[in-house]
Parts: sequence; structure tokens; C-alpha cells
Amino acid sequence: MSSKLSHNVLPGFRLSLGYAITYLSLLVLIPLGALIAKSTALSPADFWSVATNERALAAYRVTFGASLVAALINAVFGLIVAWVLVRYPFPGKRFVDALVDLPFALPTAVAGITLTTLYAGNGWLGQLIEPLGIKVAFTPMGIMVALTFVTLPFVVRTLQPVIEDIEPEVEEAAATLGASRAQTLWRVVLPQLFPAWLTGFALAFSRAVGEYGSVIFIAGNMPMVSEITPLLIISKLEQYDLVGATVLAVVMLVISFVLLLSINLLQWWAANRHSGRSPVEALAPGARVEGAGA
Amino acid sequence: MSIGIRNIGKRFGSFVALDNISLEIPTGELVALLGPSGCGKTTLLRIIAGMEVADAGQITLSGEEATHLHTRERQVGFVFQHYALFRHMTVFENVAFGLRVKPRGERPSEAKIREKVMDLLKLVQLDWLAERYPSQLSGGQRQRIALARALAVEPRVLLLDEPFGALDTQVRKELRRWLRRLHDEMHISSVFVTHDQEEALEVADRVVVMNQGRIEQVGSPDEVYSNPATPFVYQFLGNVNVFHSRLHGPWAEVARESSSQATAFVRPHDIEILRESVTGAIAAEVAHVQAIGPAVRVELTHQSEVIEVELSRERHQQLGLANGDAVWLLPKSVTVFDAAGSEPRRWVPDWVI
Repeated sequence: MSSKLSHNVLPGFRLSLGYAITYLSLLVLIPLGALIAKSTALSPADFWSVATNERALAAYRVTFGASLVAALINAVFGLIVAWVLVRYPFPGKRFVDALVDLPFALPTAVAGITLTTLYAGNGWLGQLIEPLGIKVAFTPMGIMVALTFVTLPFVVRTLQPVIEDIEPEVEEAAATLGASRAQTLWRVVLPQLFPAWLTGFALAFSRAVGEYGSVIFIAGNMPMVSEITPLLIISKLEQYDLVGATVLAVVMLVISFVLLLSINLLQWWAANRHSGRSPVEALAPGARVEGAGA
Repeated sequence: MSIGIRNIGKRFGSFVALDNISLEIPTGELVALLGPSGCGKTTLLRIIAGMEVADAGQITLSGEEATHLHTRERQVGFVFQHYALFRHMTVFENVAFGLRVKPRGERPSEAKIREKVMDLLKLVQLDWLAERYPSQLSGGQRQRIALARALAVEPRVLLLDEPFGALDTQVRKELRRWLRRLHDEMHISSVFVTHDQEEALEVADRVVVMNQGRIEQVGSPDEVYSNPATPFVYQFLGNVNVFHSRLHGPWAEVARESSSQATAFVRPHDIEILRESVTGAIAAEVAHVQAIGPAVRVELTHQSEVIEVELSRERHQQLGLANGDAVWLLPKSVTVFDAAGSEPRRWVPDWVI
């Protein structure tokens, strides 16, 4: 390994690696380490009972369930938005393109209040759909709406450059081979988008899991029904139950990490299988990204 | 299968890509569309494939009207310059693609697909790469896979767009010969686009020389090289010296027969270098001698114009040319085009030694 490093063409490898590790440690590893250290103040049995408390379990379900649904909705509609923005010229395209980023820029609390006002029983949208028996504000459905709104840019922005990169020739080749438009899309275009699509999904999902500001306004925050884990953590903090809050945080951390790791492994597999490398090789410092010219 | 191209026109904005093109390609022929970039050759190929729609004119395949058929219904095989392989599929799946997307009724069984794909991979001599991905292959291998993929659906015509353009010289030469052999075995009508005159002359049965959206000449490789129909073809195929005939003794006399605005073309190997003056010879000065390969190339200047001459090694040794020598030039064969654009006149001076 050391011989490989000394032959690296780019200068400053050691310096930049050192910097990256220090930076990550200060920003991510040390706070998370402290969090875990704090939670070990409890005995394993106590930890388990706090972590699997009925109210906590319900909160996990709401948080991860709503995040998953939001990420899935964005995976489908974000793909369509990205496709339309790249492939079709239409008036006001730049304006629509800029709109996609708004959920990034808007303070999440503003987003939450706006959505609540819209979907409340007397709001513009609420008064239209409530007679149909659909209640959005102050229900788990509201959480999904808020999370979908906040995580919209992730899938769109991850897919856009990849869709731009697809050579039109590949689609033409499929057509000369007798493939219909649907077959070309399904067998040729979508598989090429899959790795980026997974990345967008993972980003949207992880952002949704950590979302707090926009959700608390629209959720109604009823324990066991529409209470998300971050809110439960805050309420424990307000009751000076520091350790209890840490336990919930650690549980979220572990679940998120496992989910993200498996999505990433799946994505590495999808991205590298056509160059015949395993994820481990793909992670090796000497590995080059190939296939761009294919 | 024959291809009929009738009065095809195509514009991109104000740019005329194809100007009233008509061409018949008989069954089983290997035709090269040759021309500089921007001459419309790729556009014509894409119109035959149905990837581009002509503004005017008609395309027939085997005599049947095909102008408005969709690409997938035309049964044409298309090979792209940059291969356009499906990156996420193995070589095997790439070749099998055309068979797998057939409607359920026509789709061969899995065993048949396997057999057919392996046969094609053997034909392109790459059956040992079936399980690899395109990114693991060299350029030449990728192009052969692209060809196997196009042949899998048994196309009625094979269209190749600069198929060897992205490859290095060695691989190019090998693939050219290989394409020729393959064509002779399969007997499928093929059209390939190239800007490389050597490639067109070596591989094709017939060469179609195009320029600025028009066809300049159609003929066998020998015809277009030996009897260029227009000044453009003369200059595009091989090296040539261009003389504005007034200035150059004997050539001026030829020009005067028709008009004073004529242009004379002489190939470098059709000029003789002499040490002393004879009738009709023009004076020149040796500027540079390049003695590499079987022929010796000499650059001379005459009234600040550069003239290129090719000599055999023996002749070069007899003459013993050095830079700065004053010599005399005599043409052995001249082709003259007058400004009116009438038929070219070939003229062999009778005083050739």
C-alpha cells in the first residue's frame, strides 16, 4: 500500500488525507462518539428498556415509515421531474429548474407552517380534500407530505447529470435492434440510471429521517400516532432526561447507519458490476473509475 | 436488399445538409459514402436508417416505400462510431438484446438465443469474451461486438457510421480487411460512411464521393481515383498539384482551347524532374527532399508556389537532388477542368520522355 501511495500522481496525498480525517473526526466522529459514550451510562438492560419503550417504538415506526414513503414518492416523481427537465425544451424551463432547489433554501419551519396552513381543515387544499375524507394536517400523512417536500431536490439533482450523460446513440441503437420506446426505457435507460437513482433515494431518505423543523408543525405530534423520534428526543431533553434522549439518538443512529450502508453497498454493486469489480476493489485507493468512455 | 434514395433533401435551419440526393444501391454491394466532415454523408446514412427525417424525397428498401417507416420497422443494422454498446449488459446480453425485445410470438427460445449469440460471437472471433462487460474490452473488440449485435436481428441492410474512426491505425487496417471478408461471406447490402479516402478505396465495391450536400461522383474505387469527375474529387482523393494554367507554359496552352480560367491537376507521381530545359518544361527550385519509404517526395517552388513531386528511389539517385538546385519540371499526365464545369479533359503531352 505504501509503495502505491508514493507513486500516486497527485501531490499532497498524505496532507489531504490527514486533513480529511481530522475534519471528519471533529465534525462527525467525535460528537457521535460522545453520544455513544454518554448512552453507556446506562446498564444494557436499562438501555434496552428505554430504547424499546412503547412510545419510542411507535416513534421509530412513524419516523422511518414516513421517511421511506417520502423517499419512494420522490424516487418516482423526482425521476420524472429530472427526465422532463433534461429531455424536453419548454418555456420557463430555467424557472422550473430553479424551483426544484427551493426546499433546500427555505427554512424548514417556514415550509412546515406553510404546508400546515394549506392542508388544515380551513386551508386552500385542506377544504378541498377533507370533504373527501382525506385528512392531511395533524396526521402521519402530513408528516409524509412535509418530508416529501423537503427531500424533493435530492433525487432530481442526483439524476439530472446522469440523464444528461446518456448518449442518444444508445437509444438509437436499441431502436435499430427493434426495441419499442418502452423496452428501450426499461431495458436500456433505467438500468443506467439505477446507481444514481439509489444515491438520490438514500440521500432523500437520510434527510427525511433527520428532519425536524417542518414536521413538528404539520404532524400534530400525538404520542403513539404522529410523534417522530427527533421530537421525542427534544421532549426528553426538555424534561432533563439527558440519558434517555441519548439512548433514542443512538438507536436512530444505528438504524440509519445500517440502512445507509446497505443502500451504499447495493449502489456500489450496481455501479461496478459492469466493470467486473467487487465493492471492495472499488473502494481500494488504486482503483480507477472506468467505463466512462464506453 | 437494394436501397433506393430519390431526391432526398434535408436542411438544419439555413444549413443545407443534403441537396436533392439520388442514389441506387443494389443488393449485396458494399458502398462507401466518402467526403469531408459536414458534407452530409452521416445525415444521409441516418435518413436511410430512419433516425433522421428527410424534408423531401423518398427512401425505398427492396423496392418498398420506407420513407415514413420507424427505425425499428426498417430492419437495418446500424454500427456507430463510438460503439453505443449497452454498458450495463455483458457482451452476451448486448448481442442477445435484439432477439430478446422481439414480440413474444417471434421471440426465439432461450436455447435458440444462446446458440445464435454464440455463433455470432464466434463469427467476430470474440466468443471467449461473452461474460465480460463492454468497459473491459478494447476499442476494436467493442466495435466487433457492436457489429455482432447489429447482425443478430438479421438486418436487410447494414449501415456503418465511421465504424473505424475511433480506432488506432493498426486495428483499423485489420478491421477493414475483416469487414470486407465478412461482407463477402454474408452478402448483405452495406453502406459505410468515412472521411478516410484510403479506407473507402480499399474496402468498398463502389465509392460515393460527397461534398456540401451533393454527390460529386459515384464509381468503383479505380474509377474515382483514376478519372475524377470534378476538381473536388481530384483534390479529395490523393495528393495533387493544382495549376492555374495561364502561369505555367504548356498547361496554359491547353487552357486557352476552352477558356482562360481553367485549372490543371497533376498528380505528384505524374511529374518528371529534369536537369536541363526541354520544350514545355517549367523552371523550379528544390526546397525539400523527403526520402522515406518506397518513393521519394520532393517539394519544389515555382514563382513562390509549392509543387509536390514523387520520384522512384532509382530516379532520385540518378538526379542527386539537393536543396536549392535549379531544375525543370515536365508533366506526364494532366487533367484540365475549365470554369464552365464541362467534362474534364485528360491530356498527355507528346514530348514525355
